[in-house]
Amino acid sequence: MLPGKKLIVAFLEKLLRSKAVIWTLIVLPGLWPLWPIFGSHNPSVLADPLKLVLHHLGFTACLLLVAVLSFSPLRVLFPKWGVALALNRHRRLVGVSACVYGVLHFLTHLVYENGGGATLSKILTTALQKPFQLAGLITLAILIVLAVTSLPVFVRWLGGKNWKKLHRLAYVAAAFAAYHQATGRKIFPQQVLWIFVPLAVLELLRVIRQFQRTA
Amino acid sequence: MLIRTPKDWALRESAATPEKIYRLSHRRDFLKSLGVAGAAFAARDLLAATGGFPTKLNPAYRDAALKPTPYDFITSYNNFYEFGTDKADPKPNAAHWKPEPWTVEISGLCDAPQKIDVNDLVAKMGGVEQRIYRHRCVEAWSMVIPWDGFPLAKLVALAGPKSEAKFVKFTTVLDPKNIPGQREGTLDWPYVEGLRLDEAMNELAFIATGIYGQPIPNQNGAPLRLVTPWKYGFKGAKSIAKIEFVAKQPRNTWNIMAPDEYGFYANVNPRVDHPRWSQASERVIGGGSGVFGSRQRTLLFNGYEKQVAALYQSLNLEKNY
Repeated sequence: MLPGKKLIVAFLEKLLRSKAVIWTLIVLPGLWPLWPIFGSHNPSVLADPLKLVLHHLGFTACLLLVAVLSFSPLRVLFPKWGVALALNRHRRLVGVSACVYGVLHFLTHLVYENGGGATLSKILTTALQKPFQLAGLITLAILIVLAVTSLPVFVRWLGGKNWKKLHRLAYVAAAFAAYHQATGRKIFPQQVLWIFVPLAVLELLRVIRQFQRTA
Repeated sequence: MLIRTPKDWALRESAATPEKIYRLSHRRDFLKSLGVAGAAFAARDLLAATGGFPTKLNPAYRDAALKPTPYDFITSYNNFYEFGTDKADPKPNAAHWKPEPWTVEISGLCDAPQKIDVNDLVAKMGGVEQRIYRHRCVEAWSMVIPWDGFPLAKLVALAGPKSEAKFVKFTTVLDPKNIPGQREGTLDWPYVEGLRLDEAMNELAFIATGIYGQPIPNQNGAPLRLVTPWKYGFKGAKSIAKIEFVAKQPRNTWNIMAPDEYGFYANVNPRVDHPRWSQASERVIGGGSGVFGSRQRTLLFNGYEKQVAALYQSLNLEKNY
């Protein structure tokens, strides 16, 4: 490796070890819709500003879920890569933030759907009846369970093995999230592929690697 | 005390074209650049669907309770996949598209098939009139749009459909060289829509050539766009190149794409849900105040039950969504 490249990796590793940097990377995307809504006076956004907020929160939740799931395969595949090690320090923070974005996305949905005779119970009934919306609800339910059981009390109570087993549900959540996002539009949105295919490839490579080791 | 009662022909202030937009009109700039400003007659043959203006208000199709959506929203929030799949895409992507001169083909099972220049057509239709219609998208949002144009029934009369003709098929222009979205396989191009002949002859069915009293912008379907306000917006074929009278029910583009989600009739119906969302209510574009916006109840046939319910008396609306 070139000395310059080494320096960049070392710098990146140091940067990503910092909690402040990760917090910034998590919070900033949530603030992004403020710009087109209040800053740019873009009429295609102002036509229905809450829709942008709704979609953006869900999108960010998906990104963070995929990000946190990619950390451990990255470490398995590149055990000496400092960046992968640095990222793995933040698994809980990133995982819980995916859940927080999911919750905000859901709350925005409740506000967005409210009115015109649509009461809370009607909105929830609709959500349970439509596979597209139900997939979102299942994702959210799993993320909430995983976030709550990430509290130290529950980690101890469950014990390492059970905790690990339970938290494999994150993969189920990712599958439902992918379905939810893929069916959210009238034609298949390409972004689903950009977000979820890299994760699927990483997981596949990880499984192959672990299989080779045990064989 | 003087109490001013507005006459029913009086235009509300919101319907007036803001000066900024009036000045920004591309066509006016184009005219000026040719040095023929004021010489509208000379330009008539050059420009598509600028004929027929100024528009005449049709008081029968105005409702004081309807507050027109601001022009900026109507022309910046568009589903026109030919120019991109995001609602913000069509405005910039269609800005330099030239829909002029424009010839529309009227063909199929009719007595007077013809290819006719759009301005000649408008002249034959007796110019344009303005109607304020509700617009309800299948995606559960709505607008109120002051359309300028002419009743479709007049065009049907001009064509003189033969007795075998049962449906009218509308085909959007196919021009992948100049229409970027058509170079991608997003939809089965060209876009096709259809109406039953009696639907096409209903008093509400309208061909728009303008919005807010000025020529219709490219992103809204210049120069000719179908408007059927009791149906979901996707029925409104844009930039129509061909109108055919046919015996068999044509398959419309969205029905081909997703038959379980989009039917042929696409009548607005709060009781028949979309597979992915409820149709009982709708977001009001530009509605409410601030960021939260507003939502209102969706009405059967989008509030035009009186005018169109008779068309569907023997039809199961749940099966024929």
